Amino acid sequence: MLKARHPLGIVFFPAYDWAISPTHPERQERLLYTQDQLREEGVFDIPGITELKPDLATAEDVARVHFCFPDVPAVTTTSHLISAGGAIRAARTVMEKEAERAFALVRPPGHHAMKVVHGSRGFCNINIEAVMVEWLRERYGPLRVAIVDTDCHHGDGTQDVYWNDPDTLFISLHQDGRTLYPGTGFPLELGGPRALGTTVNVPLPPGTSDQGFLFAMREVVMPLIEDFKPDLVINSAGQDNHFSDPITDMAFSAQGYAQLTELLGADIAVLEGGYAIQGALPYVNLGLVLSMAGLDYSHVREPGFDPAAVRQSDKVTGYIEEVCRDIVKEVRHPRGPGKGETVGGWFSRRKTLYYDTDAITEYQTESVRLCDHCRGVVKYETESTRNPLCLGVEAPIGACERCVDEAYRIYEAGQIKGEYRHLALMDRVGKNYLSFTG
Amino acid sequence: MLCGIDVGGTHTDAVLIGPEGVVACAKLPTNHDDLLASIREALSSIVAVAGPAAIDRLTLSTTLTTNAIIEGTADAVGILVSGGPGIDPEVYRQGGHYHVLAGAIDHRGRETAAIDLDAAKAAVDAWLTQGLRAFAAVTKFSTRCPDQELALRGLLAGRADCVSLGHEFSGRLGFGRRIATACLNSAVWRVYNRFCDAVEQSVADLGMTAAINVLKADGGTMPLSVSRTQPVQSILSGPAASVMGIIAVCDIAEDSVILDIGGTTTDIAVFAAGAPLIENEGIAIDGRPTLVRALRTRSIGVGGDSAVTVSKQAIEVGPRRFGPPMALGGKVPTLIDALNVQNVIAVGDPRASYQGLVDAATPHGFEPEEVAEAAILNAVNQIRSEVAAFVREINDRPVYTIFELLEGRQVRPTRVYVMGGPALALSALLQDAFSEEVVVPESFAVANAIGAALARPTFSVELFADTAAGRLTIPSLGVARSVSGNYSQAAAEGEAGASLRDYLASIGADVDDAPIETVELSSFPMVEGQELAGYNIRVACQVRPGVSGAYKQAVSKQC
Repeated sequence: MLKARHPLGIVFFPAYDWAISPTHPERQERLLYTQDQLREEGVFDIPGITELKPDLATAEDVARVHFCFPDVPAVTTTSHLISAGGAIRAARTVMEKEAERAFALVRPPGHHAMKVVHGSRGFCNINIEAVMVEWLRERYGPLRVAIVDTDCHHGDGTQDVYWNDPDTLFISLHQDGRTLYPGTGFPLELGGPRALGTTVNVPLPPGTSDQGFLFAMREVVMPLIEDFKPDLVINSAGQDNHFSDPITDMAFSAQGYAQLTELLGADIAVLEGGYAIQGALPYVNLGLVLSMAGLDYSHVREPGFDPAAVRQSDKVTGYIEEVCRDIVKEVRHPRGPGKGETVGGWFSRRKTLYYDTDAITEYQTESVRLCDHCRGVVKYETESTRNPLCLGVEAPIGACERCVDEAYRIYEAGQIKGEYRHLALMDRVGKNYLSFTG
Repeated sequence: MLCGIDVGGTHTDAVLIGPEGVVACAKLPTNHDDLLASIREALSSIVAVAGPAAIDRLTLSTTLTTNAIIEGTADAVGILVSGGPGIDPEVYRQGGHYHVLAGAIDHRGRETAAIDLDAAKAAVDAWLTQGLRAFAAVTKFSTRCPDQELALRGLLAGRADCVSLGHEFSGRLGFGRRIATACLNSAVWRVYNRFCDAVEQSVADLGMTAAINVLKADGGTMPLSVSRTQPVQSILSGPAASVMGIIAVCDIAEDSVILDIGGTTTDIAVFAAGAPLIENEGIAIDGRPTLVRALRTRSIGVGGDSAVTVSKQAIEVGPRRFGPPMALGGKVPTLIDALNVQNVIAVGDPRASYQGLVDAATPHGFEPEEVAEAAILNAVNQIRSEVAAFVREINDRPVYTIFELLEGRQVRPTRVYVMGGPALALSALLQDAFSEEVVVPESFAVANAIGAALARPTFSVELFADTAAGRLTIPSLGVARSVSGNYSQAAAEGEAGASLRDYLASIGADVDDAPIETVELSSFPMVEGQELAGYNIRVACQVRPGVSGAYKQAVSKQC
């Protein structure tokens, strides 16, 4: 009989009664075949593997991470709160040692949701990993967290949320942004001025197969995690690098995903994208589950899988080797923050963001105070095709007294000036979350 | 009139029930070496009172199949398995005749690799030369497409006594469970069928013409003739007999908990709106999970004969048992001895109980009464926390829709029924521990047999239709056919219910006494490319365990 070498909690929540639209990739059917496969394999009968029910995240759990305009209920539905709650349940399982590891197999995904939320982008409204991580930090104190995003699309939302946070190492492996949504995630995107080198991007060329992904894992991801020494390793486990995925161009296999999972040894995995719901997800998820639990996955393969047919070309191999070498160099010796300007002790960058799912365009200025004592207060001035000018101010975890005061001063001044429609304040030091509509 | 016989580990109970109530009953020691003799003896004593013609229906609950498995008297089985992608099928190996074949079916029931019939034939030929007569054939996802299993049966046609195919036991998924179920079924097939022959002979010898039924682990019955092909379903029906007994005798309508406090264990069952809960997947037999439906129960090692252990840190009861209480000549003080010392009961020799507790208490500087009180409290607390954990687990069961997550029904017991030897003795303490009302039904010696006598048939069907592939299966009825593109969820629900009703009628069940309910109903639009390709429809219907309405009145008491 099998027994999990690493006890594993699985939060399985397929949301069988929720879809973005009937034929949208995010529809009821998405995890149906995955559940069939896991049940037929008897995964939940394996001693040491437990199926868990998701928690329901609260509006406060969301407000701890995001500036939602006009407010949290306007941009979330119950399905998002359950999905985030599923991730929280997974994290709780690990922190309370109910299991050694946990996998939140939930939908909808979250890694395209940024710090400021006006609606849905890339099928994501709220960033479920970030909601989970900040829930953890609120309860268990400051934690150094590494998030490795293996979805085929750049995890631009998670990158944005943690851009200025030196205690979160965010590494995204994805199909090169010049060939796929959202079009970002290049090697020189390395984090804000006080968090340089804790954002890492590994763009991979179309056609990358197991060999390329595992090379990047060994040469970039694992050494950088080793440098960072995190308390927790989280995998944003998107599955759309699969050779059969309908909306991407990569050549990763279920075996490759399982090997990547074993290499990474994440404490918590959270499902992200992956839309080859019949040919890939059942096998990739099975491989992931077995790999996380420390069980043999060598018989997990797609029906009719022929590795030779999807193997990457030598040209791709050469390119990946070169890119990976450069990335490690840039991350360890960053040249400085990228685009942006320093004015009066603040570093500001301007962003124009498009929400493809909801067809919203947002214009945003993010400014971080260049403080010598802490990460610095951050403010977001944002307007979109849905909301007039709004303001979000965050005094981050560990902010110095001056930065906390500054956050309240900016928030109050904003209310008096009257130029903002909606204002929100996030005081992570005093655990105080305020909002105001002018 | 209805007759029930429960062959238990210690006693064989028999009862005859007529429209006015219990007409006759008997309690005999079970003859472990000859279960048939116990049945014959019990039947004779009933027939002696009422005559052979008075019995219309006989229902048996026996440990025969369970014993055959535990004692290793079951047959060796030749097992053919094909797994395809996934967990290595070697994990589910049972016995020395287990052959893994190439071949695969995917989650939608599509054959993705042909079954290797040449290899299967070679394995079967070798096994037949070795004298094997019982076989099982199981493929992954055979509930979605039984073709490969059917092909394997074709190979064995006319050459085997018994061939169990995985998909015939249930439409539920679980490859390992399916292997274990089919394998156990074939292993006990011969010994069980011999037993059936003997039972039929005995019944005829007594001049009876009664229809013979067998109790299942889910608290329902099946005709003896059906049980001959699915003997595995007759396994572990003992706990079901006592739970069905409680349902028959007490009129349980609300959410409640049943505690059966025995010698070595306390068994816990939970009722939702008066009906016992069924195990989600199936019961484990000999440590292996199966697809055999069973009542959902939980056991803890706290009973009358559980040993009392004393240390500086704690005074505890169970989980071990070293024999009877000292009051009855045992060597170690037990919960019964503690109750004796506290004058809650008077069993056997109370002086022996007292001396036992003195010997246990003194080395640690306790008084015997102190130890007795702490032991009883410990037993009650263990039971209480186990009940709480069980109910919590039931309410924490995973759900898969937003609606269920927000609106899902929660079980909130309002009553605790306590049965078994120490029930009355512990009732006051249990009442202190539970916020629910504690009820001790009037003692009735043959409740198990009443449960067996009055249990009605149960059955479940799972229908799976994939209109994109044009395929429909109802595995437990052996239905596999094509289906048109416009087949709907409503049609599927109708077909599942009608098939179940037809099946019940075909086995001679009173269809009006067997309410059919739909327990799962879903229809997923299947999209390929950007287009709707069809619907993936799943329906599960069942007849819940319950007791025959006509006779229930006759045995009901105020509980």
